[in-house]
Amino acid sequence: MGALTLTQVTKSFGATQVIKGVDLAVEDGEFCVFVGPSGCGKSTLLRMIAGLEDVTSGDVAIDGARVNDLAPARREIAMVFQSYALYPHLTVRDNMGLALKQAGTPRAQIEAATGKAAEMLALDHLLERRPAELSGGQRQRVAIGRAIVRRPKLFLFDEPLSNLDAALRVQTRIEIARLHRELGATMIYVTHDQVEAMTLADKIVVLRGGVVEQVGRPMDLYNDPDNTFVAGFIGSPQMNFLDAGKLGLNSDRLGIRPEHLTPGGGQISGRVSHVEKLGGETLVYLSSEDHGLLTVRLFGERDYAVDEVVGLGFEPNRAFHFDAQGRRLR
Amino acid sequence: MSQARHSTARSLAAHAVLILYTAIALFPVFVVVINSFKNRRAIFADPLAVPGPESFDLVGYRTVLAQGDFVLYFQNSLIVTVASLFFVLLFGAMAAFALSEYRFRGNMLMGLYLALGIMIPIRLGTVAILQMMVASGLVNTLTALVLVYTAQGLPLAVFILSEFMRGVSDDLKNAGRIDGLSEYTIFFRLVLPLVRPAMATVAVFTMIPIWNDLWFPLILAPSEATKTVTLGSQVFIGQFVTNWNAVLAALSLAILPVLVLYLIFSRQLIRGITAGAVK
Amino acid sequence: MAQRKAFRWHIAVFLAPAVLVYTAIMIVPLFGTLNLSLFNTGEGGRVFVGLRNFATLFGDPRWSASFWNALGNNAWFFLVHMLVQNPVGVALAALLSSPRLRGAAFYRTAIFIPTILSFVIVGFVWKLILSPIWGIAPGMLDAVGLKSLFAPWLGREGTALTTLALISVWQFVGIPMMLIYAALLSIPDEVIEAAEMDGVTGWSQFWKIKLPLILPSIGIISILTFVGNFNAFDLIYVTQGALAGPNFSTDILGTFLYRTFFGFQLQIGDPHMGATIATAMFGIILLGVGFYLFAIQRRLRRYQF
Repeated sequence: MGALTLTQVTKSFGATQVIKGVDLAVEDGEFCVFVGPSGCGKSTLLRMIAGLEDVTSGDVAIDGARVNDLAPARREIAMVFQSYALYPHLTVRDNMGLALKQAGTPRAQIEAATGKAAEMLALDHLLERRPAELSGGQRQRVAIGRAIVRRPKLFLFDEPLSNLDAALRVQTRIEIARLHRELGATMIYVTHDQVEAMTLADKIVVLRGGVVEQVGRPMDLYNDPDNTFVAGFIGSPQMNFLDAGKLGLNSDRLGIRPEHLTPGGGQISGRVSHVEKLGGETLVYLSSEDHGLLTVRLFGERDYAVDEVVGLGFEPNRAFHFDAQGRRLR
Repeated sequence: MSQARHSTARSLAAHAVLILYTAIALFPVFVVVINSFKNRRAIFADPLAVPGPESFDLVGYRTVLAQGDFVLYFQNSLIVTVASLFFVLLFGAMAAFALSEYRFRGNMLMGLYLALGIMIPIRLGTVAILQMMVASGLVNTLTALVLVYTAQGLPLAVFILSEFMRGVSDDLKNAGRIDGLSEYTIFFRLVLPLVRPAMATVAVFTMIPIWNDLWFPLILAPSEATKTVTLGSQVFIGQFVTNWNAVLAALSLAILPVLVLYLIFSRQLIRGITAGAVK
Repeated sequence: MAQRKAFRWHIAVFLAPAVLVYTAIMIVPLFGTLNLSLFNTGEGGRVFVGLRNFATLFGDPRWSASFWNALGNNAWFFLVHMLVQNPVGVALAALLSSPRLRGAAFYRTAIFIPTILSFVIVGFVWKLILSPIWGIAPGMLDAVGLKSLFAPWLGREGTALTTLALISVWQFVGIPMMLIYAALLSIPDEVIEAAEMDGVTGWSQFWKIKLPLILPSIGIISILTFVGNFNAFDLIYVTQGALAGPNFSTDILGTFLYRTFFGFQLQIGDPHMGATIATAMFGIILLGVGFYLFAIQRRLRRYQF
């Protein structure tokens, strides 16, 4: 019902190329998340899929059909915007029904579709209100409802949670995951938050500087990153990068996640500079002469004093080797 | 948008309409200015031709400069406009600050009272204004005009500026108070610099009608010594109706200074308007 | 606080200059004018005559004919602005705000130029262009084969008023254009993009999305046009003189007030009847503004984006 293929897609604004040849296949029903730091091109890529930006070269295909020159409305897609972009002069009902009305759908059918979407999103009692009379979370649900009503082949989300507060963000994240299961639709989701990416995605696309760094399932990226950028971007707190030469290894850098560094070993030593106790876990920050700042993640409450010297060990099979260019050595 | 072909056709159509309308807007000004540099025969023989070596003639300008005291008129207009503008901006900003910053009894009513003047034109009070000016001996002085224009400009200035001042961060003002600044210092040092874009908008909206007004100069200050450019050119043209060279030259002289000022400030003006000052 | 707050002098200081000037020069004279309309010159100077001036204005056929003529002309003047100036302004703004239009700044600047010119300039310039003596207008019509359409429009009773109204439209179209342009720019891009996604494009996008969102601006422009038009004077005085010829066919309330107050030719000026006319104009503007505020503005929603 909604597979997406990008073939050597590029985008230039004047002389600057912001998307530098992206190849990607998203399968029908998949939840695909574009993630990357700001300015990496993820939103531009999404807008190109939507048809809001021209494709400079390459092809965008939905269900095998090339859509480069199709107007957004004719691509059978729906988009949820960061600012929700609700029509301020229309009620919730009309906001959700406008696209169908414009397409000439019979009134009864529009009613049924909006009714069903409203029910899924618990918006039934708000149908006659206007956007100004809704809270942020409700507006967000209306924006999602507007997308659902159209039964699109493809749902596009552009950082939809970034305007919500932390509690609502988690709640809406779970809601979106539920919708994905219930609708079984293909969804493309842009975010800069790797937690959203990890929790929602079937497939994560990590972008940097207009180039795809790695594509894979969340746990594949976590456990098997291709390079230092992906290794550092996925996972929180960030992976530690150690000087491999100082450890007598022949790679350039050694990546070890904070939870895989264990106190008590002898190979690495550092001085405690700060301790964060989160209840369930304790984060210990150490400064090491050889490796710079290191983070250690320990379960439960642990007591460390600032300036205490701690020795650290690690399991060699949990460490990643990288060359001088940051590429993974396998 | 993605439909490349459609949008080219559409933008061509948009350009065609806009160029046509721009021509309509500029054509009269263009015709007057080019003909003011031609001799009498050329003006009538081919009004749309630009002045060439044969038709070029400054006789109109010579007549105007010899007959009318345009330098004085220009000076009068400048004094009246600048002085009114100064008072409108100063008094308007002060009142706007009081209305937007402090809660006091009658705040709402005072705001409404001052806003009344946006809807009710000051001209309706002309009869009584004239009597008042006669009684106070201000007839045929520039002061009379400055007073009237200040009163005329205040309502809109207070309205726009108070909208803007509501947007100035409270934290900033409170930080000033904690640092021991007086309310006056807060107004002049902290708030005024922040609403400068709004002041520019108000300045333009206040200035255009003052510079171009014919009614009050005609009624309150028609003497030779206090004529403004607008009144001066009206009277001059009335007297020289059949001397086309002189009329065209006088019109060009009246257009050019405003045009030059406008072109200098147009970016500011448009930025001011589109900043959402007037919605 | 236990103690009563001290009087906050600074509020008074901030408010005083504006309130004093505004009250003294604007409000007091306005009421002075209203008051003056209740008096007339009789034996031994000014006498109170109550509403008798109004009875003269509306009852005496010499006065009432002029008044209704001016009012009717003024209404037509306003109607032409509403039907031509505002739609043209909206259309130009819509074109200007179309995405990625090259040269938008140039068009904006150029189209606004007539607005900054004074009535004196505008009036005379058009008088010259439309003049049969100079022959620019007939010459241009001739060039497109329509010479037969030319007439001395400003000199004919049937066409003079409409011609003047159109000149005024030409001059002021920049104001609705700018205000609508600003309103259109304030619609967030994402809302327009959402409309694109929903298949609402081109004209239907304008009618269904943009127009409802700029209605409050159109309302404000309409009321500003109303106040401006019922207060107009300069353009007609400049082109047709205080007599608003031919045969009073371009007489509007402003010129009627001026003639009555200052007199013309054989009639001497009459401040009391002048004040009476000003009061009537005050009433008309108040009615119009009141109608707008209570009947129209309440139904216009303003949207926050």
